[in-house]
Amino acid sequence: MLTTSTPVTGDAIKQAIENRDGRTLASFYADHAVTRIIDRNNPPSRPKEIRGRGAIASFWDDICSRMMTHHVDITLADGDRMAFSQACTYPDGAKVFCIALLRLEDGMIAEQTVVQAWDE
Amino acid sequence: MRKVISRYATSGGARIAYQTVGNGSLDVVLVPGFPSNIEILWEDPGFGHLVKRLAAFCRLILLDPRGMGLSDGIDSRNPPDARGRAADILAVMDAAGSGRAALIGASDGAAAAMLAAAMWPSRCRALVLHGGYACFLASVMDAKALQAFASATEGAWGTGATLARLAPRRAADRALVGWWGRLERLSASPTAAAALVGMWGALDVRDSLPSIAVPALVLHRTGDAHVPVESSRALARGIPGARLVELPGEEHPIWMGDVDAAADAIEQFLTGEKPVAHGDRMLAALLVLRVLGMSSGAGRTVPGRHLGERMELFRDALPPVVARHGGHARWTRPDQAHARFPAAARAASCAVALRETAASLGLWVAQGIHVGEIDPSPEDLSGPVLDVADRIAARGSGPEILLSRLASELVSGSGLQFVDRGALAGIDCRAPLPLVAIASERHLEPRSRTAPRAANLDALTPREREVLALVADGLSNPHIAVDLGLSEHTVKRHVANILLKLDLPSRAAVAGLAARRDAP
Repeated sequence: MLTTSTPVTGDAIKQAIENRDGRTLASFYADHAVTRIIDRNNPPSRPKEIRGRGAIASFWDDICSRMMTHHVDITLADGDRMAFSQACTYPDGAKVFCIALLRLEDGMIAEQTVVQAWDE
Repeated sequence: MRKVISRYATSGGARIAYQTVGNGSLDVVLVPGFPSNIEILWEDPGFGHLVKRLAAFCRLILLDPRGMGLSDGIDSRNPPDARGRAADILAVMDAAGSGRAALIGASDGAAAAMLAAAMWPSRCRALVLHGGYACFLASVMDAKALQAFASATEGAWGTGATLARLAPRRAADRALVGWWGRLERLSASPTAAAALVGMWGALDVRDSLPSIAVPALVLHRTGDAHVPVESSRALARGIPGARLVELPGEEHPIWMGDVDAAADAIEQFLTGEKPVAHGDRMLAALLVLRVLGMSSGAGRTVPGRHLGERMELFRDALPPVVARHGGHARWTRPDQAHARFPAAARAASCAVALRETAASLGLWVAQGIHVGEIDPSPEDLSGPVLDVADRIAARGSGPEILLSRLASELVSGSGLQFVDRGALAGIDCRAPLPLVAIASERHLEPRSRTAPRAANLDALTPREREVLALVADGLSNPHIAVDLGLSEHTVKRHVANILLKLDLPSRAAVAGLAARRDAP
């Protein structure tokens, strides 16, 4: 199991995402974490589910390997609940916007729901 | 879908065209085979379907290999080797902002993809090969045969002749051959095409196979007409840990034939998830047309040996007629075509147009139409809806157009009229399927538009009958006024009353009515 030296805070998530630091991002998740993604290709009745830290790490590796810019604009925290919004831009100018809701367990992300939309 | 824009990457001074499609979390680069033009390929429904399937779970990066399509040409005296083509893939990834991508190498694109995976493992997430080979001369054809093929390719370039090599079963589809010729012309010049084919002989990346350290999936259609399946079996043996999946089919291009089978395997391999049923089955109207022979009128006057000629003309004429009605058609046998339409009314009006086209050529055709959910796979139509349409067509003896009543009920508002034609016996314990035929205009008119009304001339006054007789003779109101010694205004009133009492729309209708009553 990976150990995290960075506590999961809004600032830490912002730093990791904006620096495309997939390894740090993966370290924020609990072993059994689940990330659900809802977008045009993955409608609410059939969201894409990524289960387990290994799969989530691979997901963030893919995202972070892209030479795109990410800005985390708003982060909110309320007990073991967190939320943040993220605006991303591809090299060709296409934009993606997503909002993520997180539930923490023992300081680690146990559940994440991402709703995203992009330039069509 | 966002408008797909073609962009250019720079690789060693050459410009390589690419497009990005989709927004999935992982990047996938499709390195296509020969011939390629990433703007023209989109016109093919199979290619569009493959891209749609892949772009649903990834960001798909499409490219034209150097020397083809929108990318810079090659120096035919000094063509790029596989290493150069691998570097082109990396240049496209850089331009698209992709740090790490899965590479799909199809046909001759497989060698470049394998080399890229071996040379830059940190940039390659996974490798998928389709119809590929490590060494052309060892796996596909010898140098002499290649030389002959290159020379034949140059000679017939732009006519669609290479389709017969890559997908022989589809080479009977004249519309496709025509389009393929366009793809050839817009992918390379004849000289460049011959040089590209000639380059295959130099492709040999067998030494690199053991150093491929990324997960690899090797796909090959067992009946592949261009590259024997043994070639991929050798790849799977040579690449450490590679998984071989043999798919049914004989089409060589990845975007032809059973595209879904290839897309399913790729999606499962790259995402680790079994693709869910696509859920994009669609309601469509299917038309099956069979040519029964020459119509009896033509048979008396035209020698039978002209049948083949007429058939050729009709085979060429059918696809554009279907396309004009918003459908997509294929000849599945020399005398049988299948077409699908987004709506039953279009299928029905197209059937009427096809019957006229066939009649103008002296051909007798039977047509059947049914509606239902079909798999949107753009290749061969199949499934229960087609089977029923086929049985309906088989029931017809021409030139009647038969529809299931279900289809006819979706046509309301189109102006078409139908007459009952019994029922098709049910199969698999299903109820019999009621059939109808499109009523011809000749039958329609008396029933609906100009049916003689139960006109009661007794309702007219003697003066009105006099006016009626003169209207029927074609006289104008001023003439009638003079003949009967009335004012024109009074004649107008009489005519208006006649129309009202007989419930007729116009003087012409009045004249028609009078003429029918006078007829023997």
